Amino acid sequence: MTSKQRFLAAINRETPDRLPVTAHHVLPYFLETQMNGISYQEFFDYFGLDPINWVVAYKPDPSRGEYFDPEQGELGFLEPPRICSDNWRIKTEEIQDPKYKTVRFNFETPKNNLSMVLQSDKHTTWVTERLIKDKADIDIIAEFFTVPLCDVEEVNKQAEAFGEKGMIRGFIPGFDVYGQPGCWQDAAVLYGIEQLILETFHDPQWVHTLLKILEKRKKAYVSSMEGAKFDIVEHGGGDASSTVISPKIFDEFVAPYDVELIELAHKAGQRIVYHTCGGMMPLLEKIADMNPDAAETFTPPAMGGDADLKEAKKRIGDRLCIIGGFDQFHYFKDCTPEDTRQEVRRCFEEAGDGGGYILAPSDHFFNAEIKLLRAYAEEARKCEY
Amino acid sequence: MQDILQRIAVCIERGKASLKSLYPPDMKGQEGVAELTEKALKKGISAQEVLNKGLIFGMHSIGEKFSRGDVFIPDLLIAAQAMNAAMELLRPRFESGEIHHKGTFIIGTVSGDLHDIGKNIVKIVMEGAGWEVIDLGTDTSTESFIKAIKNSPGALVGMSALLTTTMLNMEKSVRDIHVKYPYIKVIIGGAPITENFRKDIGADLYFPDPNKLVEYLKAGN
Ligand code: B12
Repeated sequence: MTSKQRFLAAINRETPDRLPVTAHHVLPYFLETQMNGISYQEFFDYFGLDPINWVVAYKPDPSRGEYFDPEQGELGFLEPPRICSDNWRIKTEEIQDPKYKTVRFNFETPKNNLSMVLQSDKHTTWVTERLIKDKADIDIIAEFFTVPLCDVEEVNKQAEAFGEKGMIRGFIPGFDVYGQPGCWQDAAVLYGIEQLILETFHDPQWVHTLLKILEKRKKAYVSSMEGAKFDIVEHGGGDASSTVISPKIFDEFVAPYDVELIELAHKAGQRIVYHTCGGMMPLLEKIADMNPDAAETFTPPAMGGDADLKEAKKRIGDRLCIIGGFDQFHYFKDCTPEDTRQEVRRCFEEAGDGGGYILAPSDHFFNAEIKLLRAYAEEARKCEY
Repeated sequence: MQDILQRIAVCIERGKASLKSLYPPDMKGQEGVAELTEKALKKGISAQEVLNKGLIFGMHSIGEKFSRGDVFIPDLLIAAQAMNAAMELLRPRFESGEIHHKGTFIIGTVSGDLHDIGKNIVKIVMEGAGWEVIDLGTDTSTESFIKAIKNSPGALVGMSALLTTTMLNMEKSVRDIHVKYPYIKVIIGGAPITENFRKDIGADLYFPDPNKLVEYLKAGN
């Protein structure tokens, strides 16, 4: 099988020739500091992993008076292009900070302006000032936000060029500048997760209004994906994990919105992977009930999650493809290649039965030893069906 | 008397801050922690008793349920909001020396780490157990920990880390604190932390969840 066929077999819960093995994200920091700056795709080839090609291809909707932000600089890793309009201009301003690169994004609208501050270090970027500071800010967002559409032609061009090499992966857009695919998760980025949780108690209606606004923007994109040759599209995010929220909040504020996007994506011919990079076990059936094609990251307890791959396979393995579950913290560093191989075997034995499983680290890894990555890939390639 | 203290504890557990709070819906229109605390104090119940048998009791009971996995983070957050309504009323009494905290607990998420939900939960549980908590926030440098210890020399120190990269920063912070203040107990936690890691970096204690820390302290350690 080609890598692409292998991935697709697993996603369709069929049995591939062997265990598909890949890496979720490979951070630019890792490639630069530990792999002599090789490219994203060279990384997969170097270790003989099944490659993923992330494709971020947005386009504006000129009929809405929208256009690419002329002021956006060079795009970073997985950074989408910004879509602006005369009523939604995004101006950036560098702020002096002794420790981190700090940028303020001002959203200029005909009414109030909104702003958000991001900081970044060598590993990653995070929000230090939320876009929604006042509950009324969501009215401004509702009135003026822009919608990215899927640039189907560009996706297909890249898919064509990638051919059978591996899987083309996309994601449902997060909000401008910094966001996440899931509606609740996007809202958490914009308002702060703890505040958002508290509002579900005090002002649930407001939370629903916000979620609807974010959902509307995402729906426009998802509908426009028709014909795009993605193999899988990411949805969800960590803030809907059971280590953060309760199953009750998941039922009331997460699932009703995310499920609509999944339905719409299916109508547009797309497959969805639902990403939950924290606690999952109390939510497994709820995730499967939303009917995504796959779920990730199955982070094990040793890394801060709660995944029990064997139990997950038993409970939902017949309903979706399982991606992840490998403990990259303990088995990509400071252990013997034999330990890494055993961890691969553990995952395969627990979740691989009959296919429907893709081996991957349970989310990012920052540091890894070459010999252990090699053992990881090699052992997985030996896991034949 | 028992009755009103019990009601305070129930309101805390259920997250009912005041008469005005719309949550929980089945307690709409009922007095919350704020009104009941005021009433209890007016009735002559000592502030210490309100604290111990009302607030701490309520927080302990929700904390135990959280430890058992019966309730989730949102339930702790809303309970903490209710507790804060009473803490506001008790603040002057702490300041006047009428009532005392069990001690001071300094907490921060370590350098480079922005995850603060876990740290905030530890803060809530420790405050709920009667401790004064000094919250240094996220991305806390070793220097900030040391400065806080200087201002509160008898304090316990808590450190939280969620990233496997930043948990390594704990080692430096723990070492530098111990060099300057060998008698200070540093307690570490956060999802990826383990007892073995604690031993490796020379921290004094590790607890997987803050209730275990409270139980340990309660046992007179
Ligand atoms: C929410 C979340 C975020 C939010 C944080 C929001 C916030 N305000 O805190 C945001 C989106 C900002 C975020 C960012 C990132 N995150 Co994050 N995040 C999570 C998530 C989903 C939940 C963490 C959480 O809050 N859990 C709930 C709390 C209550 O649990 P807790 O912190 O473990 O605390 C409990 C105990 O551990 C204990 N405890 C905690 N501290 C202490 C201290 C003491 C003294 C004691 C006694 C006890 C104790 O008490 C708490 C209650 O029981 C986790 C996955 C998971 N673990 O569930 C990933 C996770 C932690 N994040 C991860 C990553 C990779 C990142 C990013 C690097 C992603 C990126 N590329 O941008 C950035 C890092 C930014 C930075 N520099 O810190 C990884 C870490 C992997 C690793 N092992 O290193 C995880 C595990 C996800 C994954 N599967 O990969 N994240």
